[in-house]
Formats: sequence, C-alpha cells, structure tokens
Amino acid sequence: MIPLSWYLFVAFILIGLGAYGMMVKRNLIRILIGAEIMGNGVNLALVAISIYSPVFTFVGQGLIILVISVAAAHTALAMVLMLMYNRRYDTVDLGTPISLEDDENV
Amino acid sequence: MMQADVWLELNPWFEQLMFILIAGLVIFLAYAALEHKRIVYAVFFFGFMAAFVAGFFLLLEAPFIAGMQIAVYTGGISALIIFGVLLIPRAQDSTLESFASPRYKRLGALISFVVVMLSGHLAVFFPWSETFASDLPPLEFNIELVSQWIWSDHGIYVQMTALILLTSIVGAIAILKMDKAETMGPIIGEFGVESVEEPIDDEASVEEPPTEEPLDDEASVEEPSTEGPSTEEPEEEVGNE
Repeated sequence: MIPLSWYLFVAFILIGLGAYGMMVKRNLIRILIGAEIMGNGVNLALVAISIYSPVFTFVGQGLIILVISVAAAHTALAMVLMLMYNRRYDTVDLGTPISLEDDENV
Repeated sequence: MMQADVWLELNPWFEQLMFILIAGLVIFLAYAALEHKRIVYAVFFFGFMAAFVAGFFLLLEAPFIAGMQIAVYTGGISALIIFGVLLIPRAQDSTLESFASPRYKRLGALISFVVVMLSGHLAVFFPWSETFASDLPPLEFNIELVSQWIWSDHGIYVQMTALILLTSIVGAIAILKMDKAETMGPIIGEFGVESVEEPIDDEASVEEPPTEEPLDDEASVEEPSTEGPSTEEPEEEVGNE
C-alpha cells in the first residue's frame, strides 16, 4: 500500500524541477519543457488526491482529462509564439541581445 | 489481469518497489530533460518522463488517464516540440545557447528547493489520513463511471474545453498568418484584376501629372491638360465597358 504522501512528494519534486528550469534556463524551448514538467507534477498531485479522497474521485479524474486537453492547446500556442519570436528576432535564446532598432513593428 | 491482482495481493512490497523505481526514473528523466546539452535529446527525455508518469496513474488504478497521458504528452506535446525544434535550426546548435550565471543558478536552485521542501513538509506531515480514506477505494473498471461523469453529468465542461481548443487553434493560425501578411508582397496572378500590371486607377491618373510638372515646361503641361479630358474620357469608357 502506497501512502498518499509519496505521490505528493514526487509531484512536488517535479514542480520544483520545473520551476528551476523556468527560472534558470534562457532557451525558450527549455522553458516550455520546464512548464510541461510542472504541469505533469500538478496532474500527478491532483489525480493522487482525487483517488485517495472518497468524495472527489470522479471530479478529479474528469478534471484531469480536461486539464490535459487544455495543456495540449497551450503548448501549441506557446510553440506558435516561439516561432514568431524566432522569425522576428532570429533567435530563441533570451540571453542573446536583440536590437529593437531594426524592428519595424516597434 | 487476475494474476496481476493476485501478485499484488501476495506481494505488497512489489507495488512500493515499482513506485520507487518509477519515481527514480521520472526524476532522473526530468533533470535530464532540463540539463542535457542537445535540445532534441532533452525533448526525447521529456517524452520518456511523461510516459513514466503514466505509470503512476496505472499504480493509482486510473488507466484511462494513463492512456490519455501517453497519447497527449508523449505522443502529442513532445512530437510538437520536436517539430518546433526542427523548424528552428538555430535552436539545434547548442553552442549558440546562453546559460545563466552561476549566481542565478544557485538562486533559482535555492528558491525551487525551498518550494519543494515546504510542499514536501506539507505532504509528509499534514494528516492526510484523517481527511481522506487511508485505503484505496475500490475503483476497478471505473472508465464507465468516469465517462458517465464527463459526458452525461458535466457535458458543459467538455464543450468549454472544445471551445478553448478551437480558440487556441484559430488564434495560432491567425498569429502565424498575421505575421506572414505583414511580410507578403502584392499577389499577381494570371487572371482577374491582379493580372493587370498597372490597373486603371483614377487616383493614379490624377496624381501622376503633378510629379511630371517640374520636368516639363508650363506650356507643354497645359497643352495635354486641355486635350487630356477629350482623350481620357473615351479610354475610361472603353475600360469600363
């Protein structure tokens, strides 16, 4: 029998790793991967709590299905914005200095 | 299926062993996805991590969510990120990637460590057993109940999710097309109005003479202007016909 705290501890470690990636990394793709790792941790915590709770069982599972669907949508939008950034500034690295003088849209 | 259940009942340590194994793999793969130098390998590690997170859902006896996790995260999101990386050639070159200074790395690690320890303290020492059932409720074959909960009882949530997905797709296409329309030149085809290289435009015929005025003399400009209307009117009528 696995205690609920084990699942929550792994979920919080995943959230911490994702937060570390989002704070430290300069590459937009790695920041997106960090956000997805955080999302996985949140999903795991939500499913574990909903399974162990006698009341919110199907609420949690149904909610997770909708959350995973929306996660796919926001990842697609993030990729589009990343492609836009790359097309305009010719880099996906936030550490690379960009010149706003050459940008006609600013 | 029955043999697996009997195996789990006979060996209660087997479930905990599987949990520890999957947890170690997931944490290692998440770290590798963040720290690997090659960005394509990092995305692959993320896909494997998402697949192993589905193992947690199987241990929690939620097989439908495990399948959805594999289908969406491993099959959809990691493939989407890989295609995005392949569309950006500069992102594949690890030498162009800039890294944060060690000071910022230590600060980020400290903040995330504090977050993990506070959350872990809550997870370990909070009396969950008093608020929730200490034992797993009998949730075998719960796919029918989950689908009934979603589609019959709370179908509005599915419609809201479908609306969010549709909005995101339309927004993504609109953003890409908007940026493309800014850089796009005039469309010149073989047929239609666009096929005429210099379309008959009233504004252009009015604006053109003032640009030619400083080049010619006043008399030469006035002569076409007096004869102009008699010659231009038939042209416009022909053009209109």
